[in-house]
Amino acid sequence: MSDHAQQSISDIELLHSIARGDELALASLYDRYSSILLGLLLRILHNRPEAEDVLQEVFLQVWRRAADFDEARGRGFTWLVTLTRSRAIDRLRALGSRERATTAAMREAPEEIGDAGDDVLRSEQAEVVRRALAEIPEEQRRALMLAYYEGLTQSEIAAKLNQPLGTVKTRMRSGLIKLRELLSEQMKSARTWI
Amino acid sequence: MKHEEYIDLLTADALGALDAIERRELEAHLASCAECRAEADVWREVAATLAYAAPSVAPPAALRERLFEQIKTQPPISRAEAVTKTEADSENSALPKPTNVVALDAEREKRRGGVLVGKPLLLVGSLAASIAIAALAITLAMAWAQNKELQAQLARATGNTRQTEQDLRQTEQELAALRAERDLLAAPASRTVTLAGTEVAAAAQARLIYDQQTGRAVLVAANLPPVPAGKAYQLWFIADDKPLPGGLFTTDASGHAELRETIPPAGRRAQLFAITLEPQSGSPAPTSSIYLKGAVS
Repeated sequence: MSDHAQQSISDIELLHSIARGDELALASLYDRYSSILLGLLLRILHNRPEAEDVLQEVFLQVWRRAADFDEARGRGFTWLVTLTRSRAIDRLRALGSRERATTAAMREAPEEIGDAGDDVLRSEQAEVVRRALAEIPEEQRRALMLAYYEGLTQSEIAAKLNQPLGTVKTRMRSGLIKLRELLSEQMKSARTWI
Repeated sequence: MKHEEYIDLLTADALGALDAIERRELEAHLASCAECRAEADVWREVAATLAYAAPSVAPPAALRERLFEQIKTQPPISRAEAVTKTEADSENSALPKPTNVVALDAEREKRRGGVLVGKPLLLVGSLAASIAIAALAITLAMAWAQNKELQAQLARATGNTRQTEQDLRQTEQELAALRAERDLLAAPASRTVTLAGTEVAAAAQARLIYDQQTGRAVLVAANLPPVPAGKAYQLWFIADDKPLPGGLFTTDASGHAELRETIPPAGRRAQLFAITLEPQSGSPAPTSSIYLKGAVS
C-alpha cells in the first residue's frame, strides 16, 4: 500500500501543482470532480444558483489553499468533499429559515439515494456507494442523510424525528458502520471487474 | 469523558452531526489520542463517500470560465503565508483535520527494509482488525476507481499517453500491494495471535496476523518501552521449545511499531511467539528476557 494508491496519486499531484499555481492542474481537478460536487451541493442546497455559487467558491478556495492539503491526513477527494459539504452547510445556515422552510418539503421528498437511472454522469464508484446505501436499513440511512445533507446535529435530528437522542445516535453510528462494511464487501466483488 | 465515549463521537463527527460543545471536547481529545485520530480519518473517508449518493450534475461552461477569470487575480496562498492570516485560520477550520492510514503508508518504504520505524498501520486494540480492514477496503475502493479512471483517460489520451500509462502501471502495482494486504487479513489460513507484555513491558501489546500457508505476516505493537541505542526488538517463533529468529524492529516515539515479513516454514508451526530486546543486528538465539509473548490459540 505504498504511498497510497487510493489517494489517487494524480489527485495528490494535481493538488501539489495547484499549490504551485498551475492552472492546468486546477482545470483537471475541476473537470474530474465538479459534477460530483455540484450534485452534492444541489442535494444540500436545493437551489441551482446557490449551488453553483458555492461550487465556484469551493474551487477558488482549492486554488488559494491547496497548500493546506496534507496528503498524510486524508485523500484529496475526501478533502474536497469535506470542504464542499462544510461550505454548503454554512451557506444553508446563512440562507436562513425562510428559504429553508420553502425548500424543506423538497429536501424531505427526494429519496435518499440519487436516481442512478438517468444520471449519465454517474461513475462506477457512485454505483458502488449507491448499492451499499440501498442496503442500509431505512431508519439508519435517514439519520445519516439528515446529518450529512441537512447539516443537522444529533439533537436536531432527534427533535425532527421525534425520537430519543440515544436512538438517533445509535442509528447514525450503526448506519455508518454498515456503510463501511458494505463498501468493503462491494469492493470484494468489484475486484473481479478490475 | 472516557476514551471509549470519544470513540462513539467519531462517527457522528464524520457526519458533521456534533454540536459545538461536543466538537470542542472531541477535538481536545483528538489532540492527545493517536488511536482516535486514526479512526476519525477512516470515518471521514467513509462519510465522504456519501457525496456519491447525490446524482452528478454537470456545471455550466460559464461557471468554469468565471472561475478561471477569478483565479487570475488571486494567486495561491503558501502554507507559510496561511498561518499568518486570520482569514486563513478561519477558513482552515472548515477543513478536515485528519491524519490517517495514508500517513502510515508513507512509511512503507522504510518497513520494507526489515527494520521498522513508523506509525502503526493497524491499531492494537479491540477495533484494530475492523479498522484495518475498513481502511484497506476504502483504499482499495479508491485505487480501483482510480484505475478505472486511468483506463478511461488512457483510451482518450492522445498527447500524454506515456504519462498516463505510467500512472496506470503505478496504480496497478499499488493495487496489487493493497490486495496482498487485504488477502492476508482475509486468508482462510490466516491466524491472529495476541501478544501481551511481560513484567518488563507491562503495558505493551501486540498482534501478529500471519498466513499459515504463505508465511506472510504483519506484526503491530503498541506501548513498547523505548529502544536503547544500538538495540532493536526481535520477533521469535517458538516451535517445540526451540526459538527461531524473526524480524527486527524499532518503535516510534509513542512506542508503536510495525513489522511485516515472511515467516519461514518452520516458524509457521510455532505454538508461541515472543519478542525480546536484542542488539540491533539481531541474535541467532534470544539474549534478553521476553518482553511480549503470546500463544497460538
